[in-house]
Amino acid sequence: MGVSELEESSLLLDEKLLRFMDQLESLEEKRATLNSLIEQGWFSISKARYSMGNKQVSALQYASEIEPLVCVHARTLDNGEVDFSTERAQQKCSKEAGLDAKSVEDIGPQEEGIRRRIRPKKDITEKEASGEASSEKAPEVTPVRKCDQNPQQDPLKWFGILVPQSLKQAQTSFKQVIELSAEIAALQTAVLNTRQELKRSMKDKHAAQENISAAQSDKVAD
Amino acid sequence: MAGRGKLIAVIGDEDTCTGFLLGGIGELNKNRKPNFLVVEKDTSITEIEETFKSFLVRNDIGIILINQFIAEMIRHAIDAHMQSIPAVLEIPSKEHPYDASKDSILRRAKGMFSAEDFR
Repeated sequence: MGVSELEESSLLLDEKLLRFMDQLESLEEKRATLNSLIEQGWFSISKARYSMGNKQVSALQYASEIEPLVCVHARTLDNGEVDFSTERAQQKCSKEAGLDAKSVEDIGPQEEGIRRRIRPKKDITEKEASGEASSEKAPEVTPVRKCDQNPQQDPLKWFGILVPQSLKQAQTSFKQVIELSAEIAALQTAVLNTRQELKRSMKDKHAAQENISAAQSDKVAD
Repeated sequence: MAGRGKLIAVIGDEDTCTGFLLGGIGELNKNRKPNFLVVEKDTSITEIEETFKSFLVRNDIGIILINQFIAEMIRHAIDAHMQSIPAVLEIPSKEHPYDASKDSILRRAKGMFSAEDFR
């Protein structure tokens, strides 16, 4: 009975150890990919800095209003592991890219129509004739803001309207890095979780072993 | 902000922060508190540690990315963090390549095979 229990726990331990090794291997692979992607990103940033000027790509260019375009969903699984998945605000992004393009063209006065500062005499006489009715009219110029300033804009725009291709490449690399980092974070928690399980199983096995040896020594004593 | 997800915070040198912010993780909340810290030559270790700890207690942060050479400066704080959320991820920096033997998580995993565990 005791021996079969011991065998069972040993098998379980082996299974967990193999899973642990698999997870470590996968973690190492992903780490290598992440490192190379980050390197690629830095290289692209450096290239952009070279073509734009040394001070054009720095922390000073960050916008005063920054909204996240990507978020991560953390889901705790039954076995205690945490699954991280990234979500990008894609729809908003594309919509806002369109709005941004508009706002770039609309440089100039925000108000529509021509504002008349000095009214011609004709207007005044007409006004007098129509009496109070015209005075109730809405003012000629209604200041209408075409679109509110959009804080959730593409971070590329912080560095200028026409940014070099290398900065776009840097953005692409870092987007991939962000996705990969969520996967790695999930894998890290999985590794730690498996390690805990492994420790527990090992203790169980040791306890079973001790029981067997105690039983055997009792038999010998009898 | 998309949905009700959590943020990714970053503590790193200028290029690392710029890169991740380009990727779209940056946020300045209502209190004008950012979810990133650009570490420069004159940034003190206390400031880094305080920022790291403030990220740990913020419940809207899911992952903290930190350059490994900065993580080395506040290793005790990183080792003390045992929860799975926020997850702490050590990343390389331009001047310091990633060294797996320094990584807190991997060191914990390696601890599995110490003599103490086999006792």
